Amino acid sequence: MGTAFSRGIALAAFAFTYPISNLDGHAILRSTAPAVNEVVHGTTVHIRLQFSSRIDVKRSRLILLLPSGGEQVLVADQPSPDIVRSEVAELAPGAYILRWQVLAEDGHITRGELPFRTQ
Amino acid sequence: MPQLLDIFAFVSVLFRGMTLAFEMLTIGGVIFLLAIARNEITNRDSRRPSRFLTISAAVLAATQIAFVGANSVVLMNSTGLTWADVRGASFSVAGAFIIVGAAFVGGFARSGSGKWMCPAGCILILYGAVMTSHSAARLEHRGVLAGLTLSHHLASAAWIGAMPYLLWTLRGMPNREVARSITSRFSRMAMVSVVVLAGAGGSMALLYVGSPAALTGTIYGIMLSSKVTLTALLLLLGWMNLRIVRAVRAGAPANLLPLRRFGEAEVGIGFTIILAAASLTSMPPAADVLVGRVTIPEIAERVKPKWPRMRTPALDELSPPTLWTASFAAAVPRSFVPGQLTQPSKPADIAWSEYNHHWAGLVVLAAGILSYLARRVSWAKHWPLVFIGLAVFLFFRADAENWPLGPRGFWESFQVAEVAQHRLFVVLIVAFGVFEWAIRTARLSAGTGGLIFPLVCALGGALLLTHSHSLGNPKEEFLAELSHTLLAILAVMAGWSRWLELRLDARAPRVLGLIWPVCFILIGAVLLNYREG
Repeated sequence: MGTAFSRGIALAAFAFTYPISNLDGHAILRSTAPAVNEVVHGTTVHIRLQFSSRIDVKRSRLILLLPSGGEQVLVADQPSPDIVRSEVAELAPGAYILRWQVLAEDGHITRGELPFRTQ
Repeated sequence: MPQLLDIFAFVSVLFRGMTLAFEMLTIGGVIFLLAIARNEITNRDSRRPSRFLTISAAVLAATQIAFVGANSVVLMNSTGLTWADVRGASFSVAGAFIIVGAAFVGGFARSGSGKWMCPAGCILILYGAVMTSHSAARLEHRGVLAGLTLSHHLASAAWIGAMPYLLWTLRGMPNREVARSITSRFSRMAMVSVVVLAGAGGSMALLYVGSPAALTGTIYGIMLSSKVTLTALLLLLGWMNLRIVRAVRAGAPANLLPLRRFGEAEVGIGFTIILAAASLTSMPPAADVLVGRVTIPEIAERVKPKWPRMRTPALDELSPPTLWTASFAAAVPRSFVPGQLTQPSKPADIAWSEYNHHWAGLVVLAAGILSYLARRVSWAKHWPLVFIGLAVFLFFRADAENWPLGPRGFWESFQVAEVAQHRLFVVLIVAFGVFEWAIRTARLSAGTGGLIFPLVCALGGALLLTHSHSLGNPKEEFLAELSHTLLAILAVMAGWSRWLELRLDARAPRVLGLIWPVCFILIGAVLLNYREG
């Protein structure tokens, strides 16, 4: 609420303000596998994130938050400039969150989360 | 590190805005000194512009060092990468090009080899700038967009970036013939720049926006429209200057004072456009935003006049002051800049925010009406004092989660950047209101002090263009952005019309004295009709 109001104040008061952006991150997710909140059957999950920009996969990270509370850093590759891909095996049934962070080729860092379940 | 992450979204836009502004000033300065002033100005006359060029190049290099540093630190800490891994990233390489280019310009601006080294430096700066533009990350039309971006930057630098050097040179130039010749050359270059700027900008808009629905339904589209509107204002001022240049060429007395005054407003609006451009580079292109676009009927519904909200909801109905939580309601999750806050607003949060905007609107509306009446009614000259009322209101009511309303104490609340910002506003508003009142009532001399009001007004509008709302909903963010963009344009118009009125003095057309009070009234009206849900 406050952030929204701060902008109104800046103008209403004609006072100085500072630039801040709360816009969507730069690399927008086009599609994901698994889908949001999808229930995946089996112990292996094929992860595929497709973005609206060229991604520098060497400087991007995928981290899987495990049901136990731990986390696992995933190795990712890039079949095309806009896709980040990974695979994770031997997953126990439960709720997972894939935490991703990508560096777009224009230097923008973007992050987000993708929840899914296995059974 | 957590603190850097918290403000990363903010510093990222700040650095991009500063980079663009000083890139324009650096390249514009080189163009002016080598192509426009040439050898016509004496060493004495060129000393100040050359020094300004060196400073611009130094600030550009420093900004890039800070930007690459901040981006690298965030990347290393959030991914576990080492500096060796990060230094090969595109933004690091681009930063290196810009830093080396700026060093060339800064180092050789005042030496004989500058005529070769400065253009070489500009090429490096432009190359680095294109590497960190949208074009670098595009999946389609990458080469074409890179070429268009390059043309856009070069034309902007030649027009907006070179303008301060022209004004500076004219100011201290005793030789009117040389001044006329330089102005005439600049005018021709500006006209070519406008054509290139419009051609490249229009082509990029086609590729980055793609459809009328994306133009009217995304924040990128709205920001682009505001950029076009401000450019139209700039063209109007440029056209006025062209008339002066043509009159002088046709033999009229070479009085370049009005040209300099219009030029000052051109520089101000020009750099406002650059801030809007920095904001555009920080958001995804409209063509990429396929989910959450807003339709024309939705916009019409939002702007339909409704009675303002003058009462607040109960404090316990507001959201707790929590931070980052991702929303998983969408089919494809949203992506965020590190440190970005997102918290869906509850109805009470919206009501509180609207109440704040509506009271602020009432104050600005009153200021606008009184400043208009001040021409006829003597007591209305005290209009700046209404801002004291706004300051008191903000101090007590702006941040419901802080003292005196919420659980956070007065000093504790300063740890939240946004609250500290509000507190600063209060001090500034009081100072601004009292200062302007003292000038209006002849307690202080208008002189240079009178320019503070239009400058603060124009600066507030310019910086407003670099902001956006975080309302946990892309459609609501768009609709809030729509009204704030309108407010920003009105503030810029108010500020620069008042500036011209003061600076042109007796030569000022009467209409200038009407524009800014009307802009105030319109700002008040827009704020009074502001809604977030």
